[in-house]
Amino acid sequence: MKRKLIYAGATLMALASPVLAQPAGGASGGTDWHLPFAYLAVGIASGLCGLGQGKAVASSCEAMARNPGAAAGIRFALILGLALIESLGLYALFVTYIAK
Amino acid sequence: MQAEAEVWSTALANRFLAGPLDAFWSALGVAHDPAHPWENWLSMEILVVAIIIAFFAFLRSRLSAENPSQLQLAFEGLYTFVAGQVNDAIDHGSKYVPFIGTLFIFILLMNLIGIIPGFESPTQSPSVPAGLAVAVFVYYNYMGFRSHGIGRYLIHFAGPVWWLAPIMLPIEIVSHIARPLSLTIRLFANMFAGEKITMIFLSLTFLIAPAVFMGLHVFVALLQAFIFMLLASIYVGGAVAHEEQ
Repeated sequence: MKRKLIYAGATLMALASPVLAQPAGGASGGTDWHLPFAYLAVGIASGLCGLGQGKAVASSCEAMARNPGAAAGIRFALILGLALIESLGLYALFVTYIAK
Repeated sequence: MQAEAEVWSTALANRFLAGPLDAFWSALGVAHDPAHPWENWLSMEILVVAIIIAFFAFLRSRLSAENPSQLQLAFEGLYTFVAGQVNDAIDHGSKYVPFIGTLFIFILLMNLIGIIPGFESPTQSPSVPAGLAVAVFVYYNYMGFRSHGIGRYLIHFAGPVWWLAPIMLPIEIVSHIARPLSLTIRLFANMFAGEKITMIFLSLTFLIAPAVFMGLHVFVALLQAFIFMLLASIYVGGAVAHEEQ
């Protein structure tokens, strides 16, 4: 599974090579990389936040199924955790606004 | 970010009250447009404060112990909710409930008022969450100073044992500075992104998809007000905590 992920990642990076063929527009000192990298950062941050939130939701669902009496406390911890993880993804979005 | 169109309250304020605010900004040295010193967030924030004061003055006049009205019961429920959160996070926490409760109601109304057409959430502009976060920062440090004394409170930054101090001190200082930053960005980015996504979907289609995202924005508005209040109470709790030696 891990090897497949490495192959998939390498293929994606190889497929992205046309980006090097951009005309030299933007800033006079070369192409302006601020925005593309910021977009990439938002993508990575959102993906990893999705993973984190998925893990949080999965474990809280399992906990609520095992112990329905504690569902209120578990639901509170779930909402709190989701909001804090969400804010991490939003930091990357905030970086896009700085990059502009 | 392009300049937003002026909300009606900002346009009114710029027409009648441009002079005093122009003088105020110049006195503070803040860069501004002399013809339009009032910005959307400032006029909307003051409007929200006026609404809250008017509403709670009305509520206060209707309070009754023997015969509570439904409004009173609703706000007693709200108070119980906030006081429960604060007392969970802080021991002997009842004296911190006013500040944190005000924070909750203020941020909640500021977040929700953007849903109404013709109004704009003050929290969409980075200045407002920054101000709130600075207020929370000053408040919890001040409460820490009052609770422990200035020297003992600062000694707590050095950690549990003295020989960990060179490592603990930078870590503690950085984490304390990160708190208002993260409070600001969390509130601002959530509100700003929610509004922008609704607008983007509104420009693409109408009726179903923008309504779904607006519903998400309402939920996020409630949640972010709650999270801000919760984090503020946790920070105050951490600052005034007396460990039993």
